[in-house]
Amino acid sequence: MSAAIEVSNLTKRYGAVTALNRISFQVERGEIMGFLGPNGAGKTTTLRILTGLIEPTEGLVRVEGMDVTNHPVEVRRRIGYLPENVSLYPELRVEEYLSYRAAIKGVPRSQRRPRLEEVVQRCALGDVRRRIIGRLSKGYRQRVGLADCLIGQPSILILDEPTVGLDPHQIRQTRELIKDVGRQTTVLLSTHILPEVEMICDRVAIIDHGAIVAVDSPENLRRAMTGTQVVHVELRGDSQAIEQAVAQVRSIPGVQAEIRIPLEEVFIRLTTKDTE
Amino acid sequence: MGNLLVLTAREWKAFWYSPVAYVVGGCFLIMHGWVFWLLMAVLNDPRVDPSWRMSQFFFGGTLFYWLSMLVMAPVLTMRTFSEEKRTGTMELLLSAPVTDVQVVLAKFLGAWLCYSALWASTILYFALLRRYTPLDWGPILTGYLGTFLLGAVLIAIGCLASSLTRNQVIAAVVGFVAMLLLFSVGFLAVFVTDPETVKLVKYLALLEHFQDFSKGILDTRPLVFYVSLGALALFLTVRTISHPRWRA
Repeated sequence: MSAAIEVSNLTKRYGAVTALNRISFQVERGEIMGFLGPNGAGKTTTLRILTGLIEPTEGLVRVEGMDVTNHPVEVRRRIGYLPENVSLYPELRVEEYLSYRAAIKGVPRSQRRPRLEEVVQRCALGDVRRRIIGRLSKGYRQRVGLADCLIGQPSILILDEPTVGLDPHQIRQTRELIKDVGRQTTVLLSTHILPEVEMICDRVAIIDHGAIVAVDSPENLRRAMTGTQVVHVELRGDSQAIEQAVAQVRSIPGVQAEIRIPLEEVFIRLTTKDTE
Repeated sequence: MGNLLVLTAREWKAFWYSPVAYVVGGCFLIMHGWVFWLLMAVLNDPRVDPSWRMSQFFFGGTLFYWLSMLVMAPVLTMRTFSEEKRTGTMELLLSAPVTDVQVVLAKFLGAWLCYSALWASTILYFALLRRYTPLDWGPILTGYLGTFLLGAVLIAIGCLASSLTRNQVIAAVVGFVAMLLLFSVGFLAVFVTDPETVKLVKYLALLEHFQDFSKGILDTRPLVFYVSLGALALFLTVRTISHPRWRA
C-alpha cells in the first residue's frame, strides 16, 4: 500500500525567492507526523501544496498514491485541512456551516445528521451549535474549523498550527482531540512549538529555510540532542550576538561535544527566530 | 452536479443573509414601480400613439432600465470572489473537493438567480395591469427573456471583475466601467462609415437588441451573442481563479 503522503524533491519558487528547496519526506498511514520549524521556514507552503491550493514549481507530491496536480478533487476528498488562520462564513450558525461543509464534501444526505452530531460532540461544540459563527471566540472558531476537517471523514488530516492563539486549556483539549483522531487517521500538523511535537507526534520532520533538516521520532531527536544533562535556553535579542554567545559556549570543553551536533544549532536558531 | 447545487444554494442564501439584498431589492422595486407608474400615466394620455405597448418601454425603453442594469449587476456580483478572498474563506472553499469550474458556475448562478428573482417580482405589475386591460403576453415574455439573458452577460462580467481583486469597491467600479463600455459600443455606429464595421457595431449594440426583445421579436443573433459573451467572461473567471496569483 502506498504511503499516505509522499513528497519528493518538492520545490516552490515565488519569482526569485525559493520557498521550498527540493524537500522530500513521507508520512505513513496512521501516523501523526509533526512539521516543526520557525515561521517562514516553508511549513504553510508545503501544506498548501498538499491540499492543492497552490501548485509546486517542481517535484512530486502524492497523496495515497495519487498525484496532487493531476487528481486535485480526489486528493482533497481524502484530506481535511485546517488553515493557519481559520476563517469561516461569519453569518452562518455553527450547525448550518457544518452541514453545508458536509454536503460540499460529499457526505450522503442520510449521513449528514449523524456526522454532524458526532463532530459537534467530539469538538465540544454542543453549547454553541446554534450560535452565529461571527460572534464566537477564537477558540470556538478553531474548533469549528476542526469539526469541519473531521466531518467528511477524511483519511488524512492536515493541520496548520492548530493550537496557535488558543488559551492553555484549549490547547490541551485540542492536543487531546488530535491524539484521539490520530488513532484512526493520518495526521500531518505543523507547529513551531517543540514540546507540542513531543506530546503528540510519532515522527517529526524539521524544516528550516525551505529544506528538511531531520526526520526522526521525537525520542530519537531528543536522544541525539542530549548528553547527560540538557539545558534549554530561550534567547532573546540580536541574532548575531546570540551566535557569538553560542560560539563562546562552544569553546567550553565538554559542552562542545553537544553543540557540535547540528540539530542543537537548529533549535537555537528556532528560538531566536520565534522571538522576533 | 450535486456539488454545483450545494454551492449555488450557498451563494443564494448568502445573498439573502446580507443587508445588500434588501437595500438593492428595495431600491429596485421602488424604482421600477415608479417607472411602471410613469409609463402608465404617459401611455394613458389620449395624444399618445395607441399602438405603443407597455412592454416595449418597460424593457430597455427607458434610461431607468439601463441605469438599474448597470448598477445592479456590479453591486450583486462585487462580493462573489472579493469577499471570500479578503476574509480568507476562499482557502477553505478551494480546499474542499470541488472544481474551479463548479465554484465559478455556482457564484454566477447564485447572483443570476437573485437578479432574476428581483426581476420576476415585477411580473406583478403586469398582473395588476391585466385586471384593467387585455395584454399581449408575447412581448412581455420576450422582454423578460432578454432581461434575464442580458443579466447573465452582465453578471458574468461582474464575476470576472470580482475574481480579479480582494476589494469589493474595486470590483464594483471595474465591473461597472466594463459594462458601461459594452453598453455604449453601439454608439460608435454614428461615427463609422465602413458598412461592414457598422454591421459589427450594430451586432454588439445592446440597445438595438433590446428593441427587438421588447417588441416580441426573438432573433437568434443576440441570443448567440449573449450566450457566447457570458460564456467567455465565465471562462476567463475560471482561468483567473486557477491562476496562482489570483487564487486566494
